[in-house]
Amino acid sequence: MSEELLRIDDLHVAFSTRRGMVEAVRGVTLTVKAGEMLGLVGESGSGKSVTGFATTRLLDAAGRVTGGKILFRGQDVTKLRGDDLRQLQGAAMSMIFQNPRAALNPIRAIGLQIADAILTHKRISKDAARAEALDLLRAVQIRDPEARMDAYPHELSGGMCQRVMIAIAISCNPALLIADEPTTGLDVTTQKVVMDLLADIAAARGMATILITHDLGLAARYCRRIAVMERGRIVEEASPGTLFSVPQHGYTRRLVAASPTATSRIEDLVTEEERERYAAVLGKPRPALAHGTPPLLEVRKLAKRFDQGSAAVTDFSMTMAGGESVGLVGESGSGKSTTSRMICRLIDPSEGDIVFDGQSIGHVASRDFHRSPLRKDIQMVFQDPNESLNPRFTAFDCIAHPLMRLDRMRTGEALRQRVEECAERVGLPLDLLPRFPHQLSGGQKARVGIARAIACRPRLLVLDEPTAALDVSVQAVVLQLLDRLRRENDIALLFVSHDLNVVRMLCDRTIVLRNGGIVEQGESRALFDNPKTDYTRKLVEAIPHIETGPTLAAAL
Amino acid sequence: MLSYILRRIVATLPVMAIVALFVFSLLYIAPGDPAVVIAGDQASPEDVERIRQSLGLNRPFLVQFGGWVWRILHGDLGTSIFTNLPVSAMIGQRLGPTLSLMIVTLLLTIAVAVPLGVVAAWKAGSLIDRVIMGFAVFGFSLPVFVVGYMLAYIFALELEWLPVQGYTPLSSGFWPWLENLILPAIALGCVYIALVARITRAAMLEVLQQDYIRTAKAKGLGQGGILFIHALKNAAVPIVTVIGIGIALLIGGAVVTESVFAIPGLGRLTIDAILRRDYPVIQGIVLLFSFVYVLVNLMIDVVYTLVDPRIRY
Repeated sequence: MSEELLRIDDLHVAFSTRRGMVEAVRGVTLTVKAGEMLGLVGESGSGKSVTGFATTRLLDAAGRVTGGKILFRGQDVTKLRGDDLRQLQGAAMSMIFQNPRAALNPIRAIGLQIADAILTHKRISKDAARAEALDLLRAVQIRDPEARMDAYPHELSGGMCQRVMIAIAISCNPALLIADEPTTGLDVTTQKVVMDLLADIAAARGMATILITHDLGLAARYCRRIAVMERGRIVEEASPGTLFSVPQHGYTRRLVAASPTATSRIEDLVTEEERERYAAVLGKPRPALAHGTPPLLEVRKLAKRFDQGSAAVTDFSMTMAGGESVGLVGESGSGKSTTSRMICRLIDPSEGDIVFDGQSIGHVASRDFHRSPLRKDIQMVFQDPNESLNPRFTAFDCIAHPLMRLDRMRTGEALRQRVEECAERVGLPLDLLPRFPHQLSGGQKARVGIARAIACRPRLLVLDEPTAALDVSVQAVVLQLLDRLRRENDIALLFVSHDLNVVRMLCDRTIVLRNGGIVEQGESRALFDNPKTDYTRKLVEAIPHIETGPTLAAAL
Repeated sequence: MLSYILRRIVATLPVMAIVALFVFSLLYIAPGDPAVVIAGDQASPEDVERIRQSLGLNRPFLVQFGGWVWRILHGDLGTSIFTNLPVSAMIGQRLGPTLSLMIVTLLLTIAVAVPLGVVAAWKAGSLIDRVIMGFAVFGFSLPVFVVGYMLAYIFALELEWLPVQGYTPLSSGFWPWLENLILPAIALGCVYIALVARITRAAMLEVLQQDYIRTAKAKGLGQGGILFIHALKNAAVPIVTVIGIGIALLIGGAVVTESVFAIPGLGRLTIDAILRRDYPVIQGIVLLFSFVYVLVNLMIDVVYTLVDPRIRY
């Protein structure tokens, strides 16, 4: 057994808030050995990031370690001050963060940002530091590193920015690297490349790594040991194999059940509250469409070019029947969001036509479409439930607004009934209706967003990554909700996502986009089980799955 | 970069044209016959007629305006009605003191206000922060002339550290020049320092919450490096904007400050010209101040691009 590098002993962290002190970490005990990669898994609010920040001493001003020890090479990190602390930060211990673009200084060339870290800890000349920074850019496999030295973060992709962050973090050869959700927000393929790189570098340099993530599959793929956190405590610690085959703790069991896998079905992501309602609609077979029924939506040779002449979407055609669910997948920049926005008539296509229920709507200017009677029929659920709700509108106002605008309903009893009915359909407790968004949880906000979208009883719902910002357990509930709504009300769903596991479960058919064009399409299960193109195969292979069989970590 | 600056200069031309038209119309916006207005209450009809002839007020408006612009483009701002001296010469004589006062005030403000704002943001919520912001409110609420007379009373009359009034040109030596400007610059800068310190604090507070500041801490950078290398430059755009807008404040304040400290600058000239209804001089000064202000705005835009690579030119 290799030596113990980090030992966290009964750690307590509290934040002072307006409502007094709130304990975020409540007695975490954890050890990390030199060179090992430990997964720290949990949902938002579980205290996993706070544990990481306490270890690197980067807690917000409001946060304080109220008890316990963090021993790094036998030295208690919580007691370090001034220069002793700075010698540790960035040198022996470093950290990479969730949103790489925001984590880099936007107005400082990346070469300088790497050199900053080197110059802080080594007494060398600026030229020598620059040369080392260049070597680091090569080590993180950035193409054309000489030219990139003087680039600014906004000139790089998200994946590139994360590589630069990794370069900064490893610049002084730390013994411990803490990676806080390093690939959340990146594409599946980029995620795989970045994580592989991180694992290789850690192995080559003998760095111990703590991978903090909400993604059980990701942790399972790269870590030999996983600690599961819930509400400030570690509830279970085991190897991935044991954790997924025989989870001991109730919370772990729920988490494992809610994580979509290569084979799971929506009804497998069980939660007690939805099960009964869900079973009722599952029993009913969907009415088969009469032959020759015109499609609900027909998109013909749609194209979008932006001002600089670059094409975001070219020659996109598809049809959708009423009540059908279609997935639109691809990496970022593949044009899937642009396509969905054109179909929603939020932006104007450059070419092609959109026919909805026999009426051509592609040529109605997007700024006039709100006056079209079809506006009610095509509604959208947006990616981030936090950002897409007006902070000054209560949940009630939010759901009522489209009814007042599009259904010409005035305030009063009828409106209240409709809003309450919508809330009921999405499973939003009625007593939450007078609340403002900041008083709601992520899952509740997602429900408000969906209730708003279905308020006018649309026939087509376009969903742009509706669960990307949600925890897996909340995601499971929202997915079940969407599937139930589709079956109950015959709403067609166009589901835009980069999460292939989710698309496979929710969608009858899937369309794979790349560089604005269709690469492949077909029935979802068949498409993912036997991808015909290399691109789709790459996408499918990049998804980290929870598997009880041999994992990459075990194979190492 | 150079082409950007050129394009921006071209873009200021319509602004300058509108300003010129407005300045020229000053005379006509005032009610009544311009010649009568200029001549004053005690003038005889002959005087009025003489003024009308000499200023060409009997010609059509557009012809007068065209001729006026044409002369300005050749550097001729006209002749003062009161002193019969060329307006450009009168302004040239008074430019030195006012420019000196404005530059010293500007440098003093930046040197004092920006560090104060940075410290206040760094120590946000602490006693130091509250003291600094308290002073800012204080500085904001005091009129320039009150501060001016107070300073003159304490530091010049009682302590006798600095001269009470007057101005010495830079050609007579640096210290004599600066000595006369310290009190006026503090008086004039009070509001300005308060304003810039507040904006610096607000901009820094915003920046200090960004993820990249956490990254800088994670790298082990010292407090100074974090505040001045990573944070201040990111907070620079609003600070530079307010410093620029504040120059308009300085122009207005200079008129009062020069009266209090008896500095023979443009401010005094402006007041004298207004009291004497010396329209050519008023027009010349307003035009000059507008030009300075447009130029400052251009400089601000150029500074933006130097500070932030994301702003493209």
